Amino acid sequence: MNSNRSLSNTSRYNGCSVSGALSVSAFIRDAVSIVHGPAGCAHQASSLFHSTMIANERFDIPYIYTSGLLEEQIIFGGENRLRESISEALSYDPSVVFVIGTCISETIGDDIDSVCTDAWEVPVINLNTSGFLGDSFERGFLNAIKGASELITASDEKTLSANIIGEKNLEFEVEENYSEIRRLLGLLGIDINIRFVRDITTEDIPNFCRGSLNIIREDPSGVLTQFFAEKTGIPSIPRFPSGTSDTLNFLEEAGRLLNLPWAEAVAREKEYQRSVFEEFSDLGDERIAFDSFGFQDADTQFFTDIAKNTGIKIDPDGTVIPIPLTAPVGTTGIRRMLREWRRFIDA
Amino acid sequence: MKQIALYGKGGIGKSTTSANLSAALSEKSLEILQIGCDPKHDSTRMLMHGEWIPTVLDLVRKKGEANIAVDEIVFKGYNGIRCVEAGGPEPGIGCAGRGIIATFQLLEKLDALYGDVIVYDVLGDVVCGGFAMPMREGYAQEVYLVTSGDFMALYAANNICKAIARLSKRTKNRCTLGGVICNSANIENEYELVKEFAEKINSKLVAFIPRSPIVRVSEVNRKTVIEYAPESEQAEIYRKLADTVMKNVPDKNKIPVPMEMDELESLSLKYIKI
Ligand code: SF4
Repeated sequence: MNSNRSLSNTSRYNGCSVSGALSVSAFIRDAVSIVHGPAGCAHQASSLFHSTMIANERFDIPYIYTSGLLEEQIIFGGENRLRESISEALSYDPSVVFVIGTCISETIGDDIDSVCTDAWEVPVINLNTSGFLGDSFERGFLNAIKGASELITASDEKTLSANIIGEKNLEFEVEENYSEIRRLLGLLGIDINIRFVRDITTEDIPNFCRGSLNIIREDPSGVLTQFFAEKTGIPSIPRFPSGTSDTLNFLEEAGRLLNLPWAEAVAREKEYQRSVFEEFSDLGDERIAFDSFGFQDADTQFFTDIAKNTGIKIDPDGTVIPIPLTAPVGTTGIRRMLREWRRFIDA
Repeated sequence: MKQIALYGKGGIGKSTTSANLSAALSEKSLEILQIGCDPKHDSTRMLMHGEWIPTVLDLVRKKGEANIAVDEIVFKGYNGIRCVEAGGPEPGIGCAGRGIIATFQLLEKLDALYGDVIVYDVLGDVVCGGFAMPMREGYAQEVYLVTSGDFMALYAANNICKAIARLSKRTKNRCTLGGVICNSANIENEYELVKEFAEKINSKLVAFIPRSPIVRVSEVNRKTVIEYAPESEQAEIYRKLADTVMKNVPDKNKIPVPMEMDELESLSLKYIKI
């Protein structure tokens, strides 16, 4: 029984496993994702996509398919309706179909696995999202990454490149964060192999194992690190770096894992960090106070450190600065954040 | 319109009791509708002279809800009693409780839910939200618990009593406990035991139906006792039950008090002869 409870009752990070799974599967461009449940479940998720993506100025909102269960299927079982939906989905000529179960399909006991293992012309993958998956956006997200990884095949060829895993496709600064990681890896001479999963096609996935380093967006529970270690044998860094020293450590860690000299890259990055703080030296005499709006379990220490580096004083009467939902990534992330602080201070 | 429902453990004789009750009521020139709410769909068989009538849910599955006409689901049986079987999904899939409520709603939509008395014969001891729907939605307004002196039958009856007690707290509740019917299993001291059970749960024993071979004989002949052996003592007993039910006006404020498990056990022990 899934009985995880969210203390905050509900927040951006809790909610429905369907949205979490779609935030992965819908970003494989030649895939179709079918939400197997009432149309309302798919609607919930697509509304979220719609509003979040438009707010992030992305207009290529993925199309989400649903088996649209009605009362009739709730009474008699929805497996046949799922079969029909998969057939309908196949008319769009996808390379893979993902099936995303809901609370309802689990309640009435649909055996999604058996439907998925029927003889379909393309892989049909159950992302295991059915049921009341506790604190569930996360669980849907993880299960979808695991499900999509079924398309990964072994590779003899290795390149000096990194796989980026588990980018948060609905995150505001997802592209900026990616560019930052790419820039950092560039300092070490490492390319990007695959973004798993962001705007890829299924043709990209078999190349996964050509990468020689896995970098996971964030993996607080360690689940993805372990999963990909077992599946691919590729070493992992389990987070995107945030903060000055963490960014330097990231470079060092990546270098060590790949047996590359890293000292020069670290030195260059340190220099860049210095220049960033210099760029904001005009804020040196300013006073600010942080406000998390009660939303998050905010760890203000991180932001306090950045303020100190810039020479800004923390003062309860200072300009109120909202704490971002996620910590800025790398040095460029800090720079972006300081620009925002400047706007607040100058306002 | 009186809407009564017989609830009780599977195999306790709900269908036999319901069919004979409906038959006895029909003799009073009342218009009766009997709805079997069990995927097993054998509630109305004796009223239909052994015919298995198509179930509402089978038809919905085959034709879709929109294409169903009243005469495809409501069948005239003995003495003009209108018979309906809700049916259910195949075992192991879907949700039968939801199916039952969909059946009632369809009957309502087709203006078929009328009569002087509607007898709902509800599959017994499953009292999840889905199966409690008839009580919750105000279809089962007077619930009769069918039990014997068998411990498991009393246990099931007590559970249903819990459901009624729970629903009684709702402001819009229309469901009351009409009483307890003992369908005897030939257990010693059964009358006393079930009578005391009924009182303990703040209700009353409204009928004691002795076990009689005539019930089986009638069934083999595909008839209710009322029809097959109208002169028999057993038929008289069902007629008496029909009288009692018609006269019964359960007090809406009288809420049943389910027993605790150990209480129920000691009650059974009290009457058992070892
Ligand atoms: S019913 Fe379950 S699957 Fe559907 S939207 Fe709600 S939480 Fe998500």
